[in-house]
Amino acid sequence: MPTEWKLFADLAERAGDKHVTVDAAAGDTVGDALEALLEATPELEDRVLEDGELRSQINVLRNGTNVLVEEEGMETVLDADDELALFPPVSGG
Amino acid sequence: MSDLRLNATQLDRYSRHVIMDEIGPDGQQRLLESAVLVVGAGGLGSPAIQYLAAAGVGQLGIVDDDVVERSNLQRQIVHGDADVGRPKVESAADYVAALNPDLDVDTHDTRVTADTVADLVAGYDIVLDASDNFATRYLLNDHCVLTETPLFHGAIYRFEGQLTSFTNERGGDEPRPCYRCVFPEAPEPGTVPDCATTGVLGVLPGTVGCIQATEAVKYLLGKGDLLEGRLLMYDAMDMSFEEVPIRPNPSCPVCGDDPEIESVGDVAYEGTCGISAD
Repeated sequence: MPTEWKLFADLAERAGDKHVTVDAAAGDTVGDALEALLEATPELEDRVLEDGELRSQINVLRNGTNVLVEEEGMETVLDADDELALFPPVSGG
Repeated sequence: MSDLRLNATQLDRYSRHVIMDEIGPDGQQRLLESAVLVVGAGGLGSPAIQYLAAAGVGQLGIVDDDVVERSNLQRQIVHGDADVGRPKVESAADYVAALNPDLDVDTHDTRVTADTVADLVAGYDIVLDASDNFATRYLLNDHCVLTETPLFHGAIYRFEGQLTSFTNERGGDEPRPCYRCVFPEAPEPGTVPDCATTGVLGVLPGTVGCIQATEAVKYLLGKGDLLEGRLLMYDAMDMSFEEVPIRPNPSCPVCGDDPEIESVGDVAYEGTCGISAD
């Protein structure tokens, strides 16, 4: 089962699409799905990772829940039909 | 009960507020006695200033160090063609004076810095962050956390907006996150393009600034459910609103259990808004 990432703001602009489907399934982790996302959209890598770690201002959601705060972070195990999202802060006014 | 001092003109002007049980003469009086600082008289600040002024927020402070440019007019609707070249704070103050002579407007033709933030915010009940850069946003967050000042956040990017409200009332039972709980540090300068580079849908800040003003009015009235603990993400292209719960982060650098930031002087706001090296 493929998993869909939803991208917000400049992440979507860099990737060229708000939605990117990757090959990650139930039993895989959020980290696996992120790796697959960055393989599919390498232009995101520098914006999302710093020294191989997720940048502090990039938030990862699984079904609307922040995996870094309320789940097991990158080790969070995916269920079937999970929706993943990446959102950064924006500053325009 | 507050003493009811609405005069006949005010009762007429604010009659659609006064008639509602949720506001009434007491609520309107409360708005008239409130002081709100709007930081930024641009895309977000324009509609926020207009609606706060129309609502009868008695003291409006407006901070901005820019002058009106023609390219602003596609979205910064508090300014007009004849204002090009004028300080934004003057143009905005003229708009408010024409709309509602009932109010006091303070103009601050300056940029908010770590040195000036305390003086600028002092005397206001709440702050609306209608700024256009991370340095100001992190500075306002930190100052408002440290002084327990309510802060109403709105920010935009091309077709998308982010909104949340921080009452910064700590010590109670309710969890009260701050901006750094979600975004501990800003992106490296230059990482995220600004409106001038990437463009912005003109009506987008109208929607977002109006929601900020809505939150501010609700807070001042003490009515309704605020966007506290919730980040609202608006996508104008999809016409969708998504809500993400946000929680206090125990390792938050300013409101966490062992905060590194005890003063805005601790932070290098021109960079990633992290703690200063020196």
